[in-house]
Amino acid sequence: MNEVSRLRLVIVGVFVMSLFAALLGRLWYLQVLDSPTFVRAAVQNQIRVVCEPAPRGRILDRSGAVLVANAVSQAVTLDRTSATKHPEVVDRLAALLGLTTDVVRKELADPRYSPFKPVPIQAAVPFDKVAFVMEHADNFLGVDVLPLHGRAYPMGTLAANLLGYVGEMNAAELKDHQPRAPQTDQAVPTPGCPDYGLGDGIGKGGAEAVYDQALRGHPGVARLEVDRKGRVLRVLSHTDPVPGLDLYLTIDANIQKTAEESLVQGLSQARTHKVSNADPRNFIAPAGAATVLDPRDGSVLALASYPTYDPAKFVGGISLADFDRLNNDPNHPLVDRAIAGQYAPGSTFKLVTATAALQRGLITPNTTITDTGVYTIGGKCSGRCQFHNAGNEVLGRVDLPQAITRSSDVYFYGVGDRFWQQRGQFGTMPIQEEARAFGLDQRTGIPLSGEAPGRVSDPDRRKQDHAARPGAFPEANWFAGDNVNLAVGQGQTLVTPLQLANAYATFANGGTLYQPRIALKEARAPDGSPEATVNPTVRAHVDLPPAVRQPVLQGLEGVVSSSTGTAFRAFQGFPLATFPLAGKTGTAQVTGKQDTSVFVAFGPVDAPQYAVSVVLEQAGFGADAAAPVARRIFEVLAGLTPGQIQVQTGGTSA
Amino acid sequence: MTDLVGRSAIAKAGRDPASAWRHVDLTLVLSTVSICALGVLMVFSATRHRLGGGTTTTYYMERQFVFALLGVGLMVLVAVVDYRRLRDLSAVAYVAMLLILAAVVSPLGRNSKGAQAWFQVGSYELQPSEISKIVLIVVLASYIGARSSAGERSAVGRLHLRRFLVILVLAGLPVGLIMLQPDLGTALVFGAILFTVLVVAGAKGRHLAVLGMAAVVVVAAVLHFGVLKRFQQDRLTVFLDPTQKVQGPGFNLNQSKIAIGSGGIQGKGLFKGTQTNLAYVPEQHTDFIFTAVGEELGFVGSALLLVLFALVLWRTWRTAALASDATGSLLCIGVLAMFMFQLFENVGMTMGIMPITGIPLPFMSYGGSAMLASWAGIGLVLNVHMRRFA
Repeated sequence: MNEVSRLRLVIVGVFVMSLFAALLGRLWYLQVLDSPTFVRAAVQNQIRVVCEPAPRGRILDRSGAVLVANAVSQAVTLDRTSATKHPEVVDRLAALLGLTTDVVRKELADPRYSPFKPVPIQAAVPFDKVAFVMEHADNFLGVDVLPLHGRAYPMGTLAANLLGYVGEMNAAELKDHQPRAPQTDQAVPTPGCPDYGLGDGIGKGGAEAVYDQALRGHPGVARLEVDRKGRVLRVLSHTDPVPGLDLYLTIDANIQKTAEESLVQGLSQARTHKVSNADPRNFIAPAGAATVLDPRDGSVLALASYPTYDPAKFVGGISLADFDRLNNDPNHPLVDRAIAGQYAPGSTFKLVTATAALQRGLITPNTTITDTGVYTIGGKCSGRCQFHNAGNEVLGRVDLPQAITRSSDVYFYGVGDRFWQQRGQFGTMPIQEEARAFGLDQRTGIPLSGEAPGRVSDPDRRKQDHAARPGAFPEANWFAGDNVNLAVGQGQTLVTPLQLANAYATFANGGTLYQPRIALKEARAPDGSPEATVNPTVRAHVDLPPAVRQPVLQGLEGVVSSSTGTAFRAFQGFPLATFPLAGKTGTAQVTGKQDTSVFVAFGPVDAPQYAVSVVLEQAGFGADAAAPVARRIFEVLAGLTPGQIQVQTGGTSA
Repeated sequence: MTDLVGRSAIAKAGRDPASAWRHVDLTLVLSTVSICALGVLMVFSATRHRLGGGTTTTYYMERQFVFALLGVGLMVLVAVVDYRRLRDLSAVAYVAMLLILAAVVSPLGRNSKGAQAWFQVGSYELQPSEISKIVLIVVLASYIGARSSAGERSAVGRLHLRRFLVILVLAGLPVGLIMLQPDLGTALVFGAILFTVLVVAGAKGRHLAVLGMAAVVVVAAVLHFGVLKRFQQDRLTVFLDPTQKVQGPGFNLNQSKIAIGSGGIQGKGLFKGTQTNLAYVPEQHTDFIFTAVGEELGFVGSALLLVLFALVLWRTWRTAALASDATGSLLCIGVLAMFMFQLFENVGMTMGIMPITGIPLPFMSYGGSAMLASWAGIGLVLNVHMRRFA
């Protein structure tokens, strides 16, 4: 041994060994204890999953006319960071797109857009503007042009409320559609593409929402192996997207178009007329709805609501300004009045009252009264005891069919009063029971969101309402007067246009209450072979023996065909001989507003194929405003060329 | 019996027990050759997907193989000349080293990856700081050994302050030149060599303590006053918090750990590492070559590699203990310190327990200068081992 320190040599040796121990220990930790973490990371490292969106199914009418298709347009986007750095680009872009700088800035600040992606400023930008941006890229830093896969509406605004629109999925919707965590034994789960991903399109409202699952299909998945720089080395697996199914609606585009046109015409005509000689203001007629059902199976042939909106505005994300405009519009164009509008039915409710009275034997078809224009409640009476015909008309002696044809309120006041007086025999709510049998006071079950249930009040509900909200419902008790009002569709009774059409369709087909349907089938494009058909659903049956149905039908036919019928003038010239109709006018008083104009009818009477309801807000008598709209629709249903609507005045009141 | 027979055979053959060639340390040589062979293989694995400066996928492997052969040749050369005669050359070598290190930071040198550390000679890049490590070891061992054999018996606490300071200056000059490049990693290797040699040479405890503290202050100052390039500094500190700078050095470190960790116990198999094949680990054939071993050969292969290194270091330490004089011991200790520091720093860096600095893994990392320097180190140890009885 030489003179170096033996001890220090040993110390160095021990130190070296401890360093080795440290390295081995760390190696053991990484490669044995914590290895699965790194195995997973290594797999995720090298695999990129690219999702290819599935083309969304089209929406067609019953005969295959395309209502909603797909199209690619150019959208201009702006990067937020870049916009902050180069504010002059915002001005430049706004000028190019014909927007104000404020509008663009609002879009940029809109929290609905992902903070990680460029903000779409305008969809469907014409090609010359796109070309300008591309040619002057230096002046448009942060501006990009993206292909936008969106919906296209070859028929414009047709059936917009019914169709709904497609928008970007939000977090809440994503949560609703979260798939159950798949049970897997794999140590490294294979990433895929979910059917529902944040930012994907999803149907919002209407058929787009209800049939979203069938329409959306399944995205294609490409699993790519990539290197550190993201270069694709090879495709590990690839599955093509499964396109969504085409949805065939029960809607007939032609009937729908007619219904919408007629609605617009009817309303604008109503606006040209004075309320009455005493009231020189014109009708406001701001809104309305029309529905056409097939009584044989509950198919919806048309579902029109006015005002409506342009669904094309939603393609690629609706602008904030447009969305505000739609939401703040006092007439609520986004609301589908055909299913969500609730209106007092007025005299159209007499179908229910008449059926209830005949079925229960309160009256016979031959029961007559003398209509003196005023009805006074018999026996002891509290509150309001005298009820007048609208317009104080005096109709003289009428039986049930005549009371329907001429819309004698006094006749039905009597029915309502007597039902109440004899409630020991008929129960406290025979009319309400009949109304519910016809599908009122409950959602029809049409597969659309936002349907309103309507309302038929009764003594029990009156008590509940009063207990819950005494301010809104000051009266806790039910009086004879309430029954009188109920019998003619006034008071607190509310129906939707669809409920009304469906109730008459039920009467028309002999008593089968269908759940209205809007879809015929889901089919694989392009050959249209059905993947799933939607069958009619029967909800209930109303007992309508001939002794009950015949006199009521006679009265309803008289409404349009008899010279004393309330809608006789509106249907003058209509070929009732070849296409006989039965219908009922209704004029509903609404506190603080002009009368709601209501008309509902079905035909041909012998074998009804169509039930049509029309409701026009603040448009006057049912015979004056709504009946001509229905007539124009029936003209098309009867295969005629529809004329222009001329609203009459001075028609009968109910 | 066999044992006795064997010994007697050696005794018969070796009439002259001092004949150097009878005392070649085969364990040391074979361990090193094994590491080197594995290194060539792993360099191939890490580079076979790219065409380097050449036109074939074996470009890096072939060059590394040539470096290794040259290295073995250099080892033999270094081992042949008695290390006690190297002492006479040490002064000249020292001056030459200083001149070359000065030249490399002059416009003659070449800047690459943020440091002025290379000479371009044809298609080769020479890194003089690598071979300087060997020169420093020879110079320190010669200086200390010469003085001790001149009569002053060296023992614990016997290295006097004046000589201690001379040694510091001897080591300090090249370190200063290397920090001009700047190359903190290599400077730290010099520091490790210096400190270990001083410990074994018998420096006083308090001198060592002061030196240690001074080293901490200097490193802190280097980090604080921006001697290093920004990215060098980031690399150094990222291991403390790998979630930072995930795009830059953090990415490097994470991918390195993923490669090693995903290898598991048995590894993914040679040429089957996804991290390696898809080039997820930057600088994998050079500084991060250990990740290829970790991923493809797993814990079994990595641990085996460490065991081979342990054998090399054990034989080196043993030679230091057996050396016939202080110079021999200190030569071995210097080589031991060099290898151990580089091994621990390099492998530790790939596993996230040491800062990232550009220090190659001896015999494994692709690169000619480092390969030659490492083999020269083995040559020194062999030299001492062969002459331990002479």
